[in-house]
Amino acid sequence: MSLVDLPEAPSTRGALGRLARSELRLVFGRRRNIVLLIGLALVPLVLGLVLFLTQDSALGGQGPGFIGNVTGNGLFLVVAALFICLPFLLPLTIGIASGDSVAGEASAGTLRYLLVVPVSRTRLLGVKALGALLFAGAAVLSIAVVGLVAGAVFFGLRDITLLSGTTVPLLDGVVRVAGIVAYVGLSMTGLVAVGLFFSTLTEVPVGAMAATVVVAIVSGVLDQLPALHVIAPALLTHHWLGFAEFLRLEPDWGVLGQGLTLQAAWVAIFGALAWSRFTTADVSS
Amino acid sequence: MTEPLPVPASSTGGAGTGDLAIRTERLTKQFRSGQVAVDGIDLHVPRGAVYGFLGPNGSGKTTTIRMLLGLVRPTSGHAELLGGRMPEAGLDVLPRVGALVEGPAFHPYLTGRANLARLDASDATANPRTSRRRSDEALERVGLSAAASKPYRQYSLGMKQRLGLAAALLRPRELLVLDEPTNGLDPQGTREVRHLVRELADGGSTVLVSSHLLAEIEQVCSHIGIMGRGRLLLQGDRGELTARGAARVLVQTSSDHVAAVAEVLAALGMAEVSVEGTTVTALLDDTPPEKVSAAIVHAGVDLLGLEVRRPNLEQIFVELTGEGFDVAR
Amino acid sequence: MVVAVAVGIGFAAPPLLATAGSDGLPTITPEQLAEQVAAAEQQPLSGTVVYTARLGLPELPFSKVTGANPVSLLGGSSTMRVWTDGAERSRAALLGDVSEYSVVQDGPQAWTYSSTDNAVVHYTLDDADTARYDDLAAKAEAGDLPVEGDLPTPAEAARQAVTMAKAFSTVTLDAQTEVAGRDAYQLVVTPTSQTTLIGRIVVAVDAATSTPLRLQVWSRADAQTPALELGFTDVTFGTPADSVLSFSTPPGASTKDVVVALPEHDATTATVPGALPEGVTVSGLGWDSVVQVAGVDVAGLLAGDPAAASALPGADRQFDSKGAQQLYDQFAPEKDAGSPLGTLDTSALYDQLTTAVPEGRLLSSALLSVLVTDDGRVLVGAVPGETLQALAR
Repeated sequence: MSLVDLPEAPSTRGALGRLARSELRLVFGRRRNIVLLIGLALVPLVLGLVLFLTQDSALGGQGPGFIGNVTGNGLFLVVAALFICLPFLLPLTIGIASGDSVAGEASAGTLRYLLVVPVSRTRLLGVKALGALLFAGAAVLSIAVVGLVAGAVFFGLRDITLLSGTTVPLLDGVVRVAGIVAYVGLSMTGLVAVGLFFSTLTEVPVGAMAATVVVAIVSGVLDQLPALHVIAPALLTHHWLGFAEFLRLEPDWGVLGQGLTLQAAWVAIFGALAWSRFTTADVSS
Repeated sequence: MTEPLPVPASSTGGAGTGDLAIRTERLTKQFRSGQVAVDGIDLHVPRGAVYGFLGPNGSGKTTTIRMLLGLVRPTSGHAELLGGRMPEAGLDVLPRVGALVEGPAFHPYLTGRANLARLDASDATANPRTSRRRSDEALERVGLSAAASKPYRQYSLGMKQRLGLAAALLRPRELLVLDEPTNGLDPQGTREVRHLVRELADGGSTVLVSSHLLAEIEQVCSHIGIMGRGRLLLQGDRGELTARGAARVLVQTSSDHVAAVAEVLAALGMAEVSVEGTTVTALLDDTPPEKVSAAIVHAGVDLLGLEVRRPNLEQIFVELTGEGFDVAR
Repeated sequence: MVVAVAVGIGFAAPPLLATAGSDGLPTITPEQLAEQVAAAEQQPLSGTVVYTARLGLPELPFSKVTGANPVSLLGGSSTMRVWTDGAERSRAALLGDVSEYSVVQDGPQAWTYSSTDNAVVHYTLDDADTARYDDLAAKAEAGDLPVEGDLPTPAEAARQAVTMAKAFSTVTLDAQTEVAGRDAYQLVVTPTSQTTLIGRIVVAVDAATSTPLRLQVWSRADAQTPALELGFTDVTFGTPADSVLSFSTPPGASTKDVVVALPEHDATTATVPGALPEGVTVSGLGWDSVVQVAGVDVAGLLAGDPAAASALPGADRQFDSKGAQQLYDQFAPEKDAGSPLGTLDTSALYDQLTTAVPEGRLLSSALLSVLVTDDGRVLVGAVPGETLQALAR
């Protein structure tokens, strides 16, 4: 056994990519995560099925807001499913994935082995963030894609009626719905950062997951309290429903920009907190 | 801060600090709870040594190892690994270090090979083209080839331990830090680990191997350090250490000459002379054994047998701490 | 009904004040500013209007869950988008979280669309009124609107308005400000009365176009934040796209056609919005005025009985300002359309908003008090509740 053959690969070019691919294989290869994605994908499927079966009955056209529109246009199934998942199911899924990101490795003990490989802590955190973000994106996409397909099969796709009562061509509608999917996906980034931060605080993944989900839910509740309207604009969930802009006659890009800026701020703050915590913490698990 | 060690640190055979694979200076870790896990230790591991890092459970071995590897920040003092200060130099130094820390830990739902692949993929300095070959070699070396495609959660404790060793052996290492490598292994496995450690040392690697079971690894070690309650009680070349133990001389004689032998030994200035049946014992101290036999023969007394009995490390430890090895906590 | 009153007051105020006060340049008097606003052409614009009420009413926690609904105007904050071509086409949309309540006016017809119910209400004039409307529109284009014929010149009207306001108030100009990123002047109307709830009313007027940009009503009790605020947060002057100003019923929506009557213009009421219907008396002067309505079937109203609503004096309220009329139409109870509260439990709402007093039930807000007596009278005024109770005895 020869002693030193360092460096075998003198360039670290591609090393980050290799680590990132490994992380993504870990995230998307994990059965629990796949089950979560399937669970989310079932929402538009079940919703579509229920609306399809009840559309000619007395229950037809019922339901809050545009959910009643779904039977008229399958494109709305994407929006309705996202709307239904937004308050709880999406935060739950994302809380599980991001809360587990670092704490899961710590709890399994694999974190210490990664660090003595060695992997730079900053780089590891970055890769963990990437994995959690892409999982959040996949969660939103799984709802959207299944919603689109199920909506097309059950109800067909046609010109879309906006919230303002104006009807725009199908292509325009598809672009708008794509905008909604993108906005909802980006709206999850702040929560991912929060989850990542909690994940660096503990070796108990369930604790980090629960705390993350609680943040999303509490934020949603606080946002409803008129007495707290002063802090409402800073709440994580405040602009989550801003995706509705894409369904208005003239989307207000300012509102969407505010929503994305808010997420960027949460990402910056909790990303920095996670970084400062993770790069200095003792790993004693 | 430190109490005088029974054996001074310079007893590492006179090696200069430049020849040390691991060097710590007053390394201390106090946890937030206030508990001092490691209390000002000066660990010296010469290059090429097989260093037995011994001590009962809870004596601070693992915390020390975590500080050596940059996982835990020292409260005070510092640690150097292969000449680099930890944890700052970790990214430069750790690729040359293989480690098994506090038992193996892998993703339960991945196979043994996939777990190794994940670790190798995380190593920015590893060559991805040789990854598969190196994994297979490491698995082969620890006898896990047959189970390489099984998920980790199906592994027995011994197999898990072997996979941990395989991970440490993914690449040629200058230094191996093996924390309790024989834990969970059967006697055969323990022998294999000893063999592996010796083989690594023969290859030129430095090995720090920790254990709470002294007898298991004592025989492969060239150097020994003994921890107790957060302190390094003893460290040095194994031969020197055991030679330094308070050796006793046991003289077998006929029952008529017991008193005479005792007199001879006392005359030589030896202490703790005692008689048990036909055996007379005394502390040998610095007296050469041949001088004892000569004196007895000279006195015209029957010398049926003479044995110099040196204490083993466990007895030294008990002497130092007044505690049994496995129970001190 | 409470909602209708509160909303009615809230939205009747801006046009009234826009006449009373106006935009101005730093060197001119309030009268001159008023003249400029009166003379200014209505601008084509699009923008976002935020309405915030801090009326000191009990919280209405359900406002968010019901989607875009005018009832949300009662408390908290609401956002509207408005588009107008400055003439006879406009669109206003009250924004809910994922819902909208739109009002589109295109000449003699108008539509409301609720995304929550996917329901369209189409308002049209009957044939005779349509002809009259077209005639009026033609005359307006020629600058020969009969209603203006009976009025003095804009300058004189403005002077009259300010004089009227001055009878009960001090009218001043405040420091220049910025609203929706535009320089604006502020006209302040401060009641001279010490017994009204209203502290002052501030109107911010765009310096360039003389368009009122923001209205604030301050209560005497709170000097920190206005009790009522309605203003642009974003405004762009320019004609909106044609697609915004037109409306066609979306497929699948429920529709209802309503024919409305074009009001007769009565020049004598130009300075008093709406003549007094029967059963209505006004006591007190200026800011201390209390409107008393007799014979109101409160229980019937709460039960959502349309007969009770249409029997309400002033239910066919008409404003002499087109803008006020639009807003009133938007938020007043639709005839035959049930309560704007929709499926809310109006009795519970009524109980929640009012407190029991010896005379009946009293609603106290920062700007307005409403007393519903046990014998069916309703007293409304910008005065403390005790004043109403004293009047009712």
